[in-house]
Amino acid sequence: MFRTCDITGFKVDLKAQTLIRLNAVFAVVSLLVAIIAALLLVFTRYQPIHLLDTEMYYRLITFHGINALVFWIIFFEVAGLYFGSTVVLNNRLCSTPMAWVSFALMVVGMLMTDAIILMGKADVGLTSYVPLKAHPLFYLGIILFAVGALIAVILFFGNILIAKRDGLVKGSLPLFTYGLLAAAIIAFISISSGALAYIPAFLWSAGFIEHYDPAAYKLMWWGLGHGSQQINVTAMIAIWYLTANLSVGGTSINERVSRTAFFLYILFICLAAAHHILTDPALSSAWKVWNTSYAMYLAVLASLIHAFAVPSAIESAQRRWGFNKGLFDWLTKAPWGNPAFSSVVLAIIGFGFIGGITGVIYGMEQTNIIVHNTLAIVGHFKGTVVIGTTLTFMGVTYYLIPLIFRRKIVAFKLAKIQPWMFFFGIAILAISMIVLGQFGMPRRHWDATFSGGPFGYEFNPAVDFFWGLMLVGGVLAFLGALVWILIVVVSVFFGPKVAGPEDMQLKISPLAPEKENKKGGYEAPGTLALVAIFFVTFVILFALNWKWLAATWMVG
Amino acid sequence: MSLTSPPKGWYHKQVSKDEKMWVVIALVLCIVLFFWMIAWHVYGNQNPSNTTYRIEPREYVKLTEEFTKKHMIGIDKGIPVVMPEPNKDAFMLGEQWRWSPVLVLKKGEWYNIHLSSKDVLHGWSLQPPNMNFMVFPGYDYVLRFRPTEKGDFRVLCNEFCGIGHHQMIGRIIVIEDESELQEYGFESKPSSVSEAADAVTEEASESASEAELAAAGEQLYALKGCSACHSLDGRKLVAPTWKGVFGSEEEVRDENGNYVKVTVDEAYIRESILEPEKKKVKGYENIPMVITPLSDEEINQLIAFIKTVK
Repeated sequence: MFRTCDITGFKVDLKAQTLIRLNAVFAVVSLLVAIIAALLLVFTRYQPIHLLDTEMYYRLITFHGINALVFWIIFFEVAGLYFGSTVVLNNRLCSTPMAWVSFALMVVGMLMTDAIILMGKADVGLTSYVPLKAHPLFYLGIILFAVGALIAVILFFGNILIAKRDGLVKGSLPLFTYGLLAAAIIAFISISSGALAYIPAFLWSAGFIEHYDPAAYKLMWWGLGHGSQQINVTAMIAIWYLTANLSVGGTSINERVSRTAFFLYILFICLAAAHHILTDPALSSAWKVWNTSYAMYLAVLASLIHAFAVPSAIESAQRRWGFNKGLFDWLTKAPWGNPAFSSVVLAIIGFGFIGGITGVIYGMEQTNIIVHNTLAIVGHFKGTVVIGTTLTFMGVTYYLIPLIFRRKIVAFKLAKIQPWMFFFGIAILAISMIVLGQFGMPRRHWDATFSGGPFGYEFNPAVDFFWGLMLVGGVLAFLGALVWILIVVVSVFFGPKVAGPEDMQLKISPLAPEKENKKGGYEAPGTLALVAIFFVTFVILFALNWKWLAATWMVG
Repeated sequence: MSLTSPPKGWYHKQVSKDEKMWVVIALVLCIVLFFWMIAWHVYGNQNPSNTTYRIEPREYVKLTEEFTKKHMIGIDKGIPVVMPEPNKDAFMLGEQWRWSPVLVLKKGEWYNIHLSSKDVLHGWSLQPPNMNFMVFPGYDYVLRFRPTEKGDFRVLCNEFCGIGHHQMIGRIIVIEDESELQEYGFESKPSSVSEAADAVTEEASESASEAELAAAGEQLYALKGCSACHSLDGRKLVAPTWKGVFGSEEEVRDENGNYVKVTVDEAYIRESILEPEKKKVKGYENIPMVITPLSDEEINQLIAFIKTVK
């Protein structure tokens, strides 16, 4: 059963549409519970308030991690995978019953895991490093969720295959779907690694296995833990290209370059699990250097390519629309009133400057010594997965509400501010965490005054200021996320129905006009200036971190 | 086009000048980063070590105990203080929830510091220099350290290790000259301490006085890790304090789940060491106590010590 979209002209499989909607709804529910926990955690780490007691703090840190980093992201990605392999290709879902099985497994897995955590049977943190032991149902819940997600990934491959077979795709896949294909392959690798970590953990917790080597678990776990972040990165960049297309009619100025970058992700990005094992015993420096660098930084190269390709797609289109004055006319005259567009631009900035730079520097074998397990690491991934992935997903939802849920966005004026609230909230939070971490502040730690411990320790007095700043950022980010959730929920359930193209609040731009064929000239000078600023920032922070490392004790 | 298949000839489209420039810059950056890490192994002074041994946690505990007894110069908040010899091995044990022993190092000297855990993963976080390494049960991680500044340092735990995680904080003191030890309240080789430490291992003679027993018990309190959970000064840790506990009346939960009053006497302490789950003090019912293998003699020494903690 198909309907033809009167706005985009795509043929939409109604069964696929139902499953996209359901997965998206569960994504939003996961995000809601995750941010409530996050707010309580921020108020606990702010020492003058110190809200939760010890047990509750570690319980909610587990709960927050798994709902934010696993359930929210993966439910949304499954919705995205179905969207990119059916709607965009005018295709049908290859197996609706299996899509329901996948959905049911994911929901049951999520409920089981969350229930066990809230009952206090799994105060082990998201990473649940053995030999810290949780209730067997905690591991089983995650395994069920992962199996559900794996089925969805397989269905995505199936969808692509039948689209090819039925001639719906002639030639190459659209770049958006190509990016999702890369994400799906990475998902397959990551989830397999997760199975290797969690299935023995389940058997060990249930008493069938006596001993489980903690280093082996940690290695396998990060194959999932970091690999799943690479799914996010890849899916997020696919959405960046999609949004450039929808909002200003921009396309990659050279698709061969963009596709090569996605291909480099598939080949190398999963090696980055090594970032988490750099200061561990058991592995050699040669292993660490090769893997942490994604085989000589070829996945970083891919990210740097996208860092040029996505903004230049916007710039090139804007210039062809006539915004051609100076270096940055294209940017100042961009459709900032479109919340999907502003979300994506802010996500690119936050991902690059906060998450990306710190990620590369902290992921080097030696500099990891001065940040491992400190709050700086948390600051890094707030930059990647929260500003980058989450804000991108939030932004693209402003297109999904009218196109997939067929509702108008309520409080559209508020929707225009929301990306800015969330961006500044998380940016302030993340930068505070990075500074605190560089002062040595541990992550996942209930009491930085070490009450009850045999010795005290006073951090640099500057930390008081950054704790306060982190609280401000956390509250602002919470409000930004809450506003988004309210807009989505109220729009989807109570918003006025979309009757036709005249009800679209967000512009869908036609493709930018072709320009006269200038061979090999400068296509995006403004973008080149922006990446130059990025490069300088990188070099400064790189030099600072190595200087700080060189000032510590000698160790070898 | 992100939403539609790319136009014909996309694969052969020439790359624009600016994009080419950026890809080249990015590639050079990537290669520099890679070789930087290798170069730091040659020219830099901070590199994670490649020396690791597999070891049973109980074996490692034994090694740490032997090392501690040999080089002990005092006790600090229930944790033994140890001054290892430069260029030799020094051991540090992570357990729920303490780092032991306290190390006294000399500035500018090299030490092979062994790190391992008795139970779960811990994060060895030296502050303020801010150096962080992982500690695993079953793996002995040997890091060759050279302190470059003197002072009083802390070792935090920054890998979540259970409910008492935030109480896990250890100490490393770096001195230039042994005369500085007095500032910290220690002596370089106080004979009384090392003799008392020896007494821990030797069968105490029957005529050992109560005071001698208590002194040996104090060593055991530090050595065996009791101090991780039981304070001596009334601080509430994850287990009841020993301050004034002897002879007091406590409400405990017995095996049937009933709450009864008991007097903390020798028999109760002995039973609690051997079978800690039998009678759990109210408020601590859900915290499992580690069963520490102790001889009868050692239990007597501990009881004698507990009597003196007022």
